[in-house]
Amino acid sequence: MHGIIENLINQLTRLPGIGRKSAQRLAFFILSMPESEAMSIAEAIRTVKQTARFCNTCFNITDNEICEVCSDDSRDRSRIVVVEEPSNILVIERSGAFRCLYHVLLGALSPIDGVTPEKLKIKELADRVAAGGIQEVVVATNPNTKGEITAQYIKEVLAPLGVKVTRIAYGLPMGSDIEFADEVTLSKALAGRREL
Amino acid sequence: MLQRTEGIVLRTTPYGEADLIVTFLTKDHGIIKVFAKSPRKVKSRFGSSLEPLTCSRISFWGKEDSALPRLTQADITHVYSSIRESLSGFLKVSELIELTLYLVPERDRSRNVFSLLMRTLALMEAGPAEQLITLFYKLKLLDIAGFLPRLQSCGRCGGEGDAFHLMQGTVLCGNCCTGDGQVSRLSRSARTFFSTLLKWEMSKLHRLKPAEGIIRELVVLIDEHAQYVTEKNLRTKSFRVG
Repeated sequence: MHGIIENLINQLTRLPGIGRKSAQRLAFFILSMPESEAMSIAEAIRTVKQTARFCNTCFNITDNEICEVCSDDSRDRSRIVVVEEPSNILVIERSGAFRCLYHVLLGALSPIDGVTPEKLKIKELADRVAAGGIQEVVVATNPNTKGEITAQYIKEVLAPLGVKVTRIAYGLPMGSDIEFADEVTLSKALAGRREL
Repeated sequence: MLQRTEGIVLRTTPYGEADLIVTFLTKDHGIIKVFAKSPRKVKSRFGSSLEPLTCSRISFWGKEDSALPRLTQADITHVYSSIRESLSGFLKVSELIELTLYLVPERDRSRNVFSLLMRTLALMEAGPAEQLITLFYKLKLLDIAGFLPRLQSCGRCGGEGDAFHLMQGTVLCGNCCTGDGQVSRLSRSARTFFSTLLKWEMSKLHRLKPAEGIIRELVVLIDEHAQYVTEKNLRTKSFRVG
């Protein structure tokens, strides 16, 4: 009995943000759950691992060849938001600000780590744009050096295709206080100011 | 023990959900790796201070020989934003950083590398002639690390030679050159320029106007030599733009 609980605890500690104590708590919670609920968690993990794949078009996570976003005809199909990871799509969708298409690069360029353009889905993005119908590509890679370099590279790749390439704005997070902002963020926020 | 110094971020490696392992080149401790808690979160107190090519006054906590001390503070003093925001500029600097990480051991307290990199970045920020600047940096770095090739004269007899032996790290004259190993010929003007460059002051680098062919000749040779001594292919070299 002790062995199987210990095994579950060890397995749970593999999850991000779960230390040994949290794993222990979760293990005993799972033990106290009705069997059907515990098994549905196990089944959900099994299903996602067996069926999850990348969308053929945008490289979002899906269980079909084409993801829900790409097959949704009610979306604005003239704009593509470029993100680094599939999890970024969830965040942007939650904001409700955009109802357009996406393209997941599956990473960001990092010369020093050997992450070259060939290792990302940049060529596939250029192919999508070249196929026509896209008026704007919004580069929403992370606002850090790797994300910025990736954005610049995308701009260079898409330049011959004559599509409008935009970058998400930089600035201060809502609810924060200006006096705690660092110099770089503040200078970017000032540079990207807009008329009221 | 809490330690304070000045440093520049060379590289960051994501760790866990929102943490980073940051590699600094510092004034007092050489290259060090520190653990930064949650800098990737939007409201992190570190802000953008842990982005590559950011100079900061940093404080970190840990035993003196701790492999991964914890970063407690980073106050930005300067950001090489113009280099960071240019794809070609960032690629060139990434190459220099990668070479530095291969050639300089961690915790080597030599201040030369820190000041060399800072002066190089300042020059690159100020204007063009990047190829000459990067070549100069590589030569000085190889010199500091003890791997500077000998191109002025034959490494065995001191006579004039133009055959650079990769395995020997020196040019050899016709008499001393046995023909074993990889040999590349180096023009007299490239050898003369190499000698000049070693004695030249970095601040006056803009006064040098060598022919493009000479620089290209030296760049190829130094890159091959650096690859041989580090026994590594520079990852940044495989990055092609356009």
